[in-house]
Amino acid sequence: MSEKNREGKRTARERMMQERAAEEARSRRNRKLVVGGVVVAVIAAAVVTGVVVQNERSKPETPVAAPQGAIGDKSLVLPAGPANAPSVLTVYEDPRCPACGTFERTFSPTIDQLQDQGKLYSNVHVVSFIDRSLGGNGSKYGANALACAQDAGHFRDYHDVLYRNQPDETDDSFGDKQTLIALSKQVPGLDTPAFEACVNDNKYAGWVSAVQQDFDKSSYKSTPTVLLNGTPIYPKKGDEQISPENLVKWVDEANAGKPLGTTGPNGQSPAPTSTAAESNTPPSP
Amino acid sequence: MASQQTVRPHAQGALRRTVDGSAGEWIGLGVRLALAVVWGWAGLAKISDPAEAAQAVRAYEILPESLVKPVGWGLPFLELALALLLLLGLGTRIVAIVSAVLLLAFIAGIASAWARGISIDCGCFGGGGAVDESKTEYLQEVLRDTGFLLLAAWLIYRPRTKFSADAWLAS
Repeated sequence: MSEKNREGKRTARERMMQERAAEEARSRRNRKLVVGGVVVAVIAAAVVTGVVVQNERSKPETPVAAPQGAIGDKSLVLPAGPANAPSVLTVYEDPRCPACGTFERTFSPTIDQLQDQGKLYSNVHVVSFIDRSLGGNGSKYGANALACAQDAGHFRDYHDVLYRNQPDETDDSFGDKQTLIALSKQVPGLDTPAFEACVNDNKYAGWVSAVQQDFDKSSYKSTPTVLLNGTPIYPKKGDEQISPENLVKWVDEANAGKPLGTTGPNGQSPAPTSTAAESNTPPSP
Repeated sequence: MASQQTVRPHAQGALRRTVDGSAGEWIGLGVRLALAVVWGWAGLAKISDPAEAAQAVRAYEILPESLVKPVGWGLPFLELALALLLLLGLGTRIVAIVSAVLLLAFIAGIASAWARGISIDCGCFGGGGAVDESKTEYLQEVLRDTGFLLLAAWLIYRPRTKFSADAWLAS
């Protein structure tokens, strides 16, 4: 009797311990599931929030405010020179890019001259990606100031002044709006309260961002990218190295037999008329 | 004499118990916080400019254009979420597994760009996009990510760490 009783007690105790162990295992499993669920939920919520927030922040890809006279799809391109000239030079350049500075200091007198002779007009894409790798705001503020100068009708002259006074790539002096305004004094008639407000308010920030996003999606990876009538000419056109002389020669060759555009010192093209902007599709290889 | 023979195994067992136990959890805490800093830094650096983040992804020329922006925009927030969870020590093993998968994907992406001969910055900590050929740093980038991968591997192997939400929930 007492033997049986002891045995029964033992089995009851064992059963209780087993049940307790099973319950603990169950609750451990549940806890793991809950923690796993929380982790997945946190990650999913973060990613969704990120996509929504960043989507909101990268609007508008089509800028609400484009500088006056900007041309092309979404008005992302600044024109210079007579719009009815037979050849078009498409230039992608960043105000902070040293190779663009070198290019401009070597070629802008020739390009300006070709424009003034009615042989050429320019489509300028003011991109701004140097800030990404080096930090700072010089590309973006510089691009905005160029858009402000476009508004004021002095894009070409201010563009030439900026590249002539370009700082070292690592020196973000264009990130200082006062520098940009001080340089505008070199262009007669540009430095007005309206221009200063435009620079100080970073008025065309959205447009600058849209121009850069357009460049991001293009097949061009570096600046300056220079196309003459859609054909890359920098640093070479085919086997020929670019030089001011060769540029004149190439333009004259392309223009052979075509009527010239409106001549005269014509730094600023008038409001766009029937000119189609260079499309952003790269030439087929 | 007899007692001397038992000293070694006994001491080894004690060492092992310490590494597996308390000391291991302290090491785990260090590893966990280090990985949290890595993810936090990487995430924050990519948040300020969505267009730049998208371009960093686009530059790999791996994903279709329709996925470039969702990935470029979502990734930094994913990294921040991992940083937060590691900081809390919540679901450490799962988070470490996700971290390892992500790092393997990054290493594969960089290696692929390297193999295809395109010149990009990995965009690991902001920046990114096409760079001059002389400025690529594929080897350093792969080695660095491999180092981070070792941190994640430790946490997969030893997810129990000091001052973690996991430990608190288990108590």
